[in-house]
Amino acid sequence: MNWRRLRTLMRREVLATFRDPFTVTILVTVPLVALLLFGYVLSTEVKGLSLGVLDSNRTSASRRLVAELSAKGTFDARFYTTNGELERGLVSGAISAAIVIPPDFDRDLRAAASGRELPEIQVIYDGGEAVLAGNAEGFLRGLINAAVASMLAEEAPQVAGARPAAVLPAAAAPRASGVEVVTRSVFNPKLDGTPFMVSGTFGFVLSFLTVLITAVSIVNEKLTGTFEQLQVTPATSVEILLGKIVPLGAVFAFDVVLMVLIAGLLLHVWPVGSAIFFVLVSSFYVLISLALGLIISATSATAAEAVQKSVLFSIPLVQLSGFAFPIRSMPLVVQWFTELFPATHYIRISRAIYMRGAGPLALLPEMALLALFGVLLMTYALRSIEARR
Amino acid sequence: MSSPQSPVSRRSFWSNVAAVAYKEASVIRHDKALLATVFAQPVMMLLLFGMALSNKPANVKWLVLDRSHSAISRRFVQDVQMTGYFKPPQPVWSYDDGRRQLQDANALAFLVIPKNFRRDIERGRPRVQLLVDGSDPLSAARVAAYIGQVAAEFATTPLTLAARATSGAESSPMPVDLRQRFWFNPTLLDRNFFLAALAGMLLTNLCLSATSLGLVAERESGTYEQMLALPTTPLEIVLGKLVPFVGLSYGVFAFATLAAGLFFGAWPQGSWLALVLVTLPFVLASLGIGVFVSTLAHTSAQAVFITVFFIMPSFVLSGSMFPYQLMPHGVREVGALFPLRWYQIALRRIVERGAGLTEVLGPVLALVILFGVILAGIRWRMKPRLG
Repeated sequence: MNWRRLRTLMRREVLATFRDPFTVTILVTVPLVALLLFGYVLSTEVKGLSLGVLDSNRTSASRRLVAELSAKGTFDARFYTTNGELERGLVSGAISAAIVIPPDFDRDLRAAASGRELPEIQVIYDGGEAVLAGNAEGFLRGLINAAVASMLAEEAPQVAGARPAAVLPAAAAPRASGVEVVTRSVFNPKLDGTPFMVSGTFGFVLSFLTVLITAVSIVNEKLTGTFEQLQVTPATSVEILLGKIVPLGAVFAFDVVLMVLIAGLLLHVWPVGSAIFFVLVSSFYVLISLALGLIISATSATAAEAVQKSVLFSIPLVQLSGFAFPIRSMPLVVQWFTELFPATHYIRISRAIYMRGAGPLALLPEMALLALFGVLLMTYALRSIEARR
Repeated sequence: MSSPQSPVSRRSFWSNVAAVAYKEASVIRHDKALLATVFAQPVMMLLLFGMALSNKPANVKWLVLDRSHSAISRRFVQDVQMTGYFKPPQPVWSYDDGRRQLQDANALAFLVIPKNFRRDIERGRPRVQLLVDGSDPLSAARVAAYIGQVAAEFATTPLTLAARATSGAESSPMPVDLRQRFWFNPTLLDRNFFLAALAGMLLTNLCLSATSLGLVAERESGTYEQMLALPTTPLEIVLGKLVPFVGLSYGVFAFATLAAGLFFGAWPQGSWLALVLVTLPFVLASLGIGVFVSTLAHTSAQAVFITVFFIMPSFVLSGSMFPYQLMPHGVREVGALFPLRWYQIALRRIVERGAGLTEVLGPVLALVILFGVILAGIRWRMKPRLG
């Protein structure tokens, strides 16, 4: 390896990258837009969800229940007078959930307070929006239970003073009591979706953008013929590989820093662990990803092919890397398969540093795996460059 | 310029469109990379969304620190286990050990049962502590809800046990008898949610990646100039280019709908006619965006970038993968600019909730408006020019 030649190749690459204003724009805007978009899409918080109300009771008791449900802004009540209307509301997606209050709700409530039958309420969710329904289910159930419990407590003042969430009709009290769960979320007290998505977005942007940028830069070189010229120069394959990967790696390392700043300043998500460690690991991951991009473009005959391959590659990237969907919920065979993506491991590392403040020691196994991927991909990239000479 | 007023020019208009369509179809037939996408992608996405992906927690690893060591604490753990979302619990022997394992992401939840659990039950105020790993917020929230549900319904006295055995609702420790039902998807399968929008995602991919390169490639190979020299108007070129893709799109649409039904039982519940009709404005709008992108880009590389970075947000913001109803305002409205948002709304109504044509008029109108805007944009960018 000749250092002077390598330096020349690197300078050439940097100049070529920055000469193209489009590439520079992409390098800045894509991380920015990706962070802002993904940062907000996953939410565990249910807010302003439209809730259909069919109140056949129409008493102060039923109105009070509805008022309590919409009090905190979690649900936005919309009133319906017939079953048919309610059904149409659900079909058209105007409401995501509905509660049906029976005609004798207030009587049942008084009866329950003196220890007889429990009041009955029907809740219907729009299963068509499965994710939404799954999230809303716990919230709505909790709210209804709390509201009815506090109303029962007022009906039966003899049990007042007990915990409101578990207040029970006097005669029902010995029947059952349930266990109170004090839940605390470590690392992310409000179970906010933003840091989860932000730390995953690093994995997405760095994997995807690196592959695309390499593909495009090689395709451009092939179009202008400079790739062929490069191959007849005395530069060795190793020098060509490093001459491509190192400068682009440096550019992306800058992108990592940019993303950390954007996430911190605009989304208020800073890494819990060491930011320097994070940037170092990310820069290493970028090199691996660039090698993958090099392989894809070196094994493609045309520009269109390289691009199609990169796009095809990006689908499992979003869906199987754990970026958006939990890996543990996948079938076992698919779970093994996801381990074959370097992105899976990088996203795991990124989340560990960003959210749980993990240090190098705890992440050693994952980093060793990444290094293994790096060696394999670099070797293969080298061989695919050599094969073309 | 031919104006479609006189019958002669109208005939030449359509024959020009047909000629361009014929030429485009033969180009597609020889484009191996495109055909691979057209065939491989639907199968891949069908398998992914049908079998692999779900937001519902499963195989959740959890830790239990049982300081009570009583029969009733074991029964509580067993009840949680019975929900089916969890792997067998891993016992830990100290609080710090549990915390450490959460830190290393060895488990998602950590249940601590206090020493006095049995005595607390006798006194009527039992309490357990649950620590969840917030670095996976969606799963953590759901797991906490499941455990909370088990706990709330946990029968703490022998009397309750007996009551539970004899009558159903009577034994509920909750203050209200809540009858929950999930309409349209009784077991709340995420699969049905994804598969309903599958056609939308596939068509977005196909329509955009197929057309966005079209004009740029023609410009790069010089055939665009040749076409400008022909007596065809830009509108004829655009329409002619779109016709074969509309055919291809309906093929992919048929595959997505039939395969989801045949393999996963997710047949459309509503009107097939509405389904076929609502697809047309969506396909046209998506193709139009592809053409518009190719008028903006100078090189094929740029066209690809713009396309890919249009496809990604439209998947994410449309509500096909994540519920758009939970996104904050601003982000939600941006999502409404993507045709996929309206198409997936219509698809969900028809496929999942059994709607007919009248219920999807709103989304259709939105799609038509989007198509009109895009068409105007294309006409503005496609004023015949050289160089």
